[in-house]
Amino acid sequence: MPARDATSIAWFRSVGAIFMKDWRSELRTRYAISALLMFVVTTISIILFSLGSESARPEVLCGMLWVVIFFSAMSGLSRTFVMEEERGTSMTLQLTARGSAVYVGKLLFNTVLVTGLDVLTVALYALLINGFVIKTFSIFLVIVLLGGLGFAAAATIIAAIIARASTKGTLYPVLSFPILLPLVLTVINGTRLASDGAFFEEAYGEFQILISYIVVVIAVSVLVFDYVWKD
Amino acid sequence: MLDFLGQQPLYVVLLVVLIIWLGLYFYLFRLDSRVKKLEGRKP
Amino acid sequence: MRLTLGIWMTAVVVLAILLPMVPQPQHWYEFPVVGGLGEKARIIFFHVPTAWLSFLAFVASMVYGIKYLRKRNPDDDLKSSTAAGLGFLFCFLATVTGSIWAKFSWGSFWNWDPRETSIFVLLLIYGAYFALRSAVEVEEKRASLSAVYSIIAAVTMPFFMFVMPRVLASLHPDPIINTQGKVYMNATMLVVFLSSLAGFTGLYYWIFTIQVRIRRMESLSIHHEGELKRA
Repeated sequence: MPARDATSIAWFRSVGAIFMKDWRSELRTRYAISALLMFVVTTISIILFSLGSESARPEVLCGMLWVVIFFSAMSGLSRTFVMEEERGTSMTLQLTARGSAVYVGKLLFNTVLVTGLDVLTVALYALLINGFVIKTFSIFLVIVLLGGLGFAAAATIIAAIIARASTKGTLYPVLSFPILLPLVLTVINGTRLASDGAFFEEAYGEFQILISYIVVVIAVSVLVFDYVWKD
Repeated sequence: MLDFLGQQPLYVVLLVVLIIWLGLYFYLFRLDSRVKKLEGRKP
Repeated sequence: MRLTLGIWMTAVVVLAILLPMVPQPQHWYEFPVVGGLGEKARIIFFHVPTAWLSFLAFVASMVYGIKYLRKRNPDDDLKSSTAAGLGFLFCFLATVTGSIWAKFSWGSFWNWDPRETSIFVLLLIYGAYFALRSAVEVEEKRASLSAVYSIIAAVTMPFFMFVMPRVLASLHPDPIINTQGKVYMNATMLVVFLSSLAGFTGLYYWIFTIQVRIRRMESLSIHHEGELKRA
């Protein structure tokens, strides 16, 4: 990997390199993917089982969708930085890449993971849970894409924080929940709008909130990342 | 006096709150004085 | 200073509880009757300052955290965690007193309206903050990670102000919306209220300084023990 330097091309190369590193290692070990998969399948099965042949109100189903996504993301993304600590690669990474590049690289990778998770969950949900209907697909699409990026942004910086803590697994959702709550409320709202068949324009408020959330969280994360990451 | 208080719930509230507040206040005052004394005692 | 605080708050308490409440205030020393609440409205003088202070305390904790990140002075971290600890207490008291007020005014202990939800989320954030602190053993790391977390939490909190109205608008409109006395505070009430706020702030600050002094001495004695042992 190129040595640390200030040019932006090198920065982009670092980001790309970190993304590829995580991508390749994930394809090899499939830690996160299996965690996500297992979680989604298990949770949806439990929901199906408890619903039986009845169907819940659409508002409830919209909320539950994001509950499933939230906890699946928690179980799948928690190891983003922990893996570096465990493998002993964290020092090397600190020396060879700038903090912001590490954060953005991992952020991109997590966004891919979360978007994949979202697509899978939504597909399973739509197929298996009766009563779940989306009338305005365009709203739903934007909500899922923006929501995924928002989830990844918050999840990545919190993952960096817990990498140095001792009770990592249980601490992660505890720390993430208050941070993600505005996001979760907004996407549930947006999903409800989409489910009710609202016009695209009616969801502008939600889109604005999501976009500003994403911008703010990423900006702050880039600023504070070095304090978390460097010893 | 209990009779009077029974008729005037507002005074009961006042009494309760005053007791709590004054109790807290004097506790903190004592704590502050003790800390001051400890700080004065250099090791 | 402490004497002033003592006299001030005693006066506030007496006035807040005893000043007469009449439908049509004629004299400067009378409160107007607030519809539906009656005498119970006096809670406002004690409950609202507690809630405001718990928010202020969090901001203070964040500010000391930022100071720590810049100068690495452990005293700043001490102040940050002390401010947060006291803020947590105030937040808990605010949530409980708010819940009691809600029960007497609107019939149920919890309504998920914007104010109640935000104080609850603040409680969660405080809880997460202390969970994080207890999970990190190295002092410097603990200090930086808590500071970073409080920054991230403080940054995402404002989003609630924008999210909650939209969530409520899309829910079946809840008739039990919490309208606190901000709109109809007449001059006398305002004076007593602001005096109470000032008094509570003084109280918070006093307890804060006592705690900081005690903890400073504790950490000094721990260091002294360490030096004595080595000598």
